Amino acid sequence: MATLSDILQAEDITSLQHLQLFARTVVEGFTTGQHASPHKGFSVEFRQHRPYVQGDEIRRLDWKIFGRTDRFYIREFDEETNLRATIVLDASGSMNYRGQKGVLKFDYARKLAASLAYLLMSQQDAVGLVTFDSKVRDIIPCRTKISHLHLMLEAMVKTTPGKDTSLAPVIESLAQRLKRRGLVILISDFFDDPAALLQSIGVLRKKGHEVIALQLWDRDEIDFPFGNWARFENLENDDDFLLLDPATIRQRYLEVQKNFAEQLKDGFRKHQVDYLSLPTDESHSAALRSYLALRMR
Amino acid sequence: MTFLNAILLAGAAAFLIPLIIHLLNKRKVITMRWGAMHLLHEVIRQRKRKMKIEQLLLLITRIAIPIVLALCLARPVLTALQSLGLGSSSLIVMLDDSFSMRAPAAQTTLPGGTVMEQARQDMQTMLTDLPKGSSAQVILSGGSPRKLLDQATTALDLVPKKLSDVPSMSGPLSANDAFQSATSALKDAPNAAREVLIVSDFQEADWKAIADGAALPALENLAKQEPKPQITFYRVGSDLAENLSIASADISALVAAESQPVGLRVRIKNHGKRPWQDVAVHLEADGARLRTARVSLAPEGEAVLSFTHAFEKVGDHSISVRLEGDSFADDNAFHSIVQVRNQLNVLLIEGNPGKDPLSGATDFLDIALTPHTTAAATLKDLIRTKKIDARKLREEDLRQQEVIILADVQRLQDRAMKDIDKMVKDGVGLLIFAGPECDLDWYNREFYRKGEGLYPSAIKGYARADSDATPARILMQRFTHPAALYFNDARGGRLQDAEFRHWFEFTTQGDKVQRIFNLDRNVPLMVEKKHGRGRVIAAATTANAEWSNLPLQPFFVPLMQRLTTYLATEGSAPAWQLVGTPIRLNIAKDLLNAEYTLRDPTGQTQKLTPRKEGENILLESPPIAQPGIFQLTRTGSDKPTFHAFNVDGTESNLKALSTADIQKIATRHEASFANNLQSYQKLDRTRRHGSELWQPLLIALLALLFFEVLLQQRIAKG
Repeated sequence: MATLSDILQAEDITSLQHLQLFARTVVEGFTTGQHASPHKGFSVEFRQHRPYVQGDEIRRLDWKIFGRTDRFYIREFDEETNLRATIVLDASGSMNYRGQKGVLKFDYARKLAASLAYLLMSQQDAVGLVTFDSKVRDIIPCRTKISHLHLMLEAMVKTTPGKDTSLAPVIESLAQRLKRRGLVILISDFFDDPAALLQSIGVLRKKGHEVIALQLWDRDEIDFPFGNWARFENLENDDDFLLLDPATIRQRYLEVQKNFAEQLKDGFRKHQVDYLSLPTDESHSAALRSYLALRMR
Repeated sequence: MTFLNAILLAGAAAFLIPLIIHLLNKRKVITMRWGAMHLLHEVIRQRKRKMKIEQLLLLITRIAIPIVLALCLARPVLTALQSLGLGSSSLIVMLDDSFSMRAPAAQTTLPGGTVMEQARQDMQTMLTDLPKGSSAQVILSGGSPRKLLDQATTALDLVPKKLSDVPSMSGPLSANDAFQSATSALKDAPNAAREVLIVSDFQEADWKAIADGAALPALENLAKQEPKPQITFYRVGSDLAENLSIASADISALVAAESQPVGLRVRIKNHGKRPWQDVAVHLEADGARLRTARVSLAPEGEAVLSFTHAFEKVGDHSISVRLEGDSFADDNAFHSIVQVRNQLNVLLIEGNPGKDPLSGATDFLDIALTPHTTAAATLKDLIRTKKIDARKLREEDLRQQEVIILADVQRLQDRAMKDIDKMVKDGVGLLIFAGPECDLDWYNREFYRKGEGLYPSAIKGYARADSDATPARILMQRFTHPAALYFNDARGGRLQDAEFRHWFEFTTQGDKVQRIFNLDRNVPLMVEKKHGRGRVIAAATTANAEWSNLPLQPFFVPLMQRLTTYLATEGSAPAWQLVGTPIRLNIAKDLLNAEYTLRDPTGQTQKLTPRKEGENILLESPPIAQPGIFQLTRTGSDKPTFHAFNVDGTESNLKALSTADIQKIATRHEASFANNLQSYQKLDRTRRHGSELWQPLLIALLALLFFEVLLQQRIAKG
């Protein structure tokens, strides 16, 4: 069984400390702010001082500075809202693929999930975890306590990839279970029927959730670099196999793979879902950083 | 099939390499635990059927590559085409020795030489290449085809030596006759493997009709011979495009009186594409230049020039026209002989003397033959006529006569007929006109005598055009008879104006009888046959206006004069002959042992001696090989006779068939075609030794490699 240190390494934690994740939409949470949130939050951050101008509210004057300098300055704050982020981690058989570079897709996925959880929690956001294969296997509800992170990491460590994938019913059932609107982060290879998958994403979006889709690809699945005759056995079904000369179908495979990725990307865009394709041979933190940069635009 | 490097065939076993690799690849299957199976299923679904075929094709291609490579290196030789073993063969060469072969050869092949010289040189190489023991025979195909050697020879070096004496001055090639001669020569060929090679410039004038699809039965017959001969068309060509020639010339009279002007009409033809300005045309008489005219010729155009000259002395005279200018000079001159006489005695025997003017059977003839005398003009007539009633004909009337004309004579007395028969056999001319008085039964039985008598043709009966029907007219065609040549030009008279309502229906048979004119009812109007040293012409109509208006036509005068002078000069040499024909003269019996000297235009002489042929004494020269005036003198005599020789005008148009057309003829007759010596040698090697296949195999190998790459790419693309 993998230990916690296998999942989250020190350099990951350091690199993620400087990352900021901002939700785009207003979600329910424990927030205080200037905009029309129904809840007052207590997470308020000082931004800067500026000289008083006529019309400013008197109650926002910084009287301590006036006492020291005999000048009027106004204190300005950034408003923050708390986020309920649910990380949905695919533990189906196809995630159990270990490519020629030795990276197990599921390993990469749970590292990514742990990094995200840590990042969100360090911003005082509530984070939860759902693992699934053909059905939901574990649900850890959203909490903000740091001890909750350890609970999630333990769940990740305990999880091993199962057999069949059935992503669409899982997401639909999740949409029913998540009562409060929040951020849903899907970490999967999405090896399922795209039409059904996108339909279930639509249900999730109708419930008001913001969705982030992180699709994982092993480099072998992108480049299909095999030369010799091979027997391809399905990771999700032992009875399913194909005997073929990979060189003869490579070009056609690349087309089909590209079409599949494009179909998903287009579908996610239609549902206003942020999508990122992540090859597992790239550093996951670097890939996440580029995604966050995209989100912060 | 044989192989020059058979050991390398073992390399074909290399086909096992891709096969083994293929099988090993299949056996060395690795197992992949794979997640994206849905993508693979989609790929397979899209190209499941194609994949198996493409894989199989790829395997076959990869197996074929080493096999073809090994075959290529082993240099296989296809011997299926090999002709009847590797032994000796008999080669029959049909060599075109027509005049056009004297044109300059193409600059690329034999600069400065003639086409014939090139053909000779190429043939020498071909003969050298023949296997030991092979035989060769050459048929000289221009004009009348003839063998170069009495029989096929295995001394192949003899052939080029003999060929060097061939002047190539013959007339147009008659392909069918030449192939007939080749077929006959083939029967004497000593070897079982036989080849027929046609060497020619394929002049359009000789071959165009055949290229257009005309039948060539002699070649078809030749191709059917067993064992089947290999037939090859071999072209030797000239790149000369420009040529001027004297296409034809007409003399107004074959025999003239002293001081009587003789007209010479010359047609000059430009066969090329460039115009010619001020081409000098000289008139020469008895070797001396008299005057020069100038003429301009449009591209492919022609011009007609007329000259007149009167000879003062009795005897044979030569007259020539010569033009200057082009590089192919052999056809730039025309020569003729004109006989100048004091008088020519013609006896007119009429069967029906008329009481009224011009009603007699010979009245019109009398006028036509002596127009100046009849008109009481000061000019002298060459012909002196004597008219006599057939019933009053006596032996002494026939004496000193050179031409006898019978008109509407019912029948001849036996004695008169015998006398006339003897006279004709001795060279006197006889012209017989039809008429209502003629006893057809006697004419057929006694006069024609199944071809043995004087009359040239049997008579089927009288024919007539009904009064309301269109009268018969002379069929206008290209006339070839010497007496009719003058009328090929419309300026000689409109023969078609004569209308015929009655005529004898001749049933001409045999090749001894020549038609001079035909009626447009497909029956002859005038026929001629040789009888001893003389000639007989029979006309199917009357000499007066009873059956036709022929005597009323302006051309009646020149026509009768030409027929008469033609008959009168038959015993002597013709005005001119074609180069390639011999001088043949029937001479008096007492000259059998005489000796003659023939002097050619360059001054070279040769001796000729007469020989006996049947009842006649014949003086014959070898075929004349150059144009010009020849002089024949009997030893001991100071009166030479002149003989003129000209080249055939149709040979002057050097335009040749296209390669495609020759190829077409060859293909149609299952023959091969070679355009130059190299391609002939290649063809010959292929036939003799088989065809090396490494070149096509190499191409096949490259194609296979290319195909393999393409297939690989296609498979990779899916």
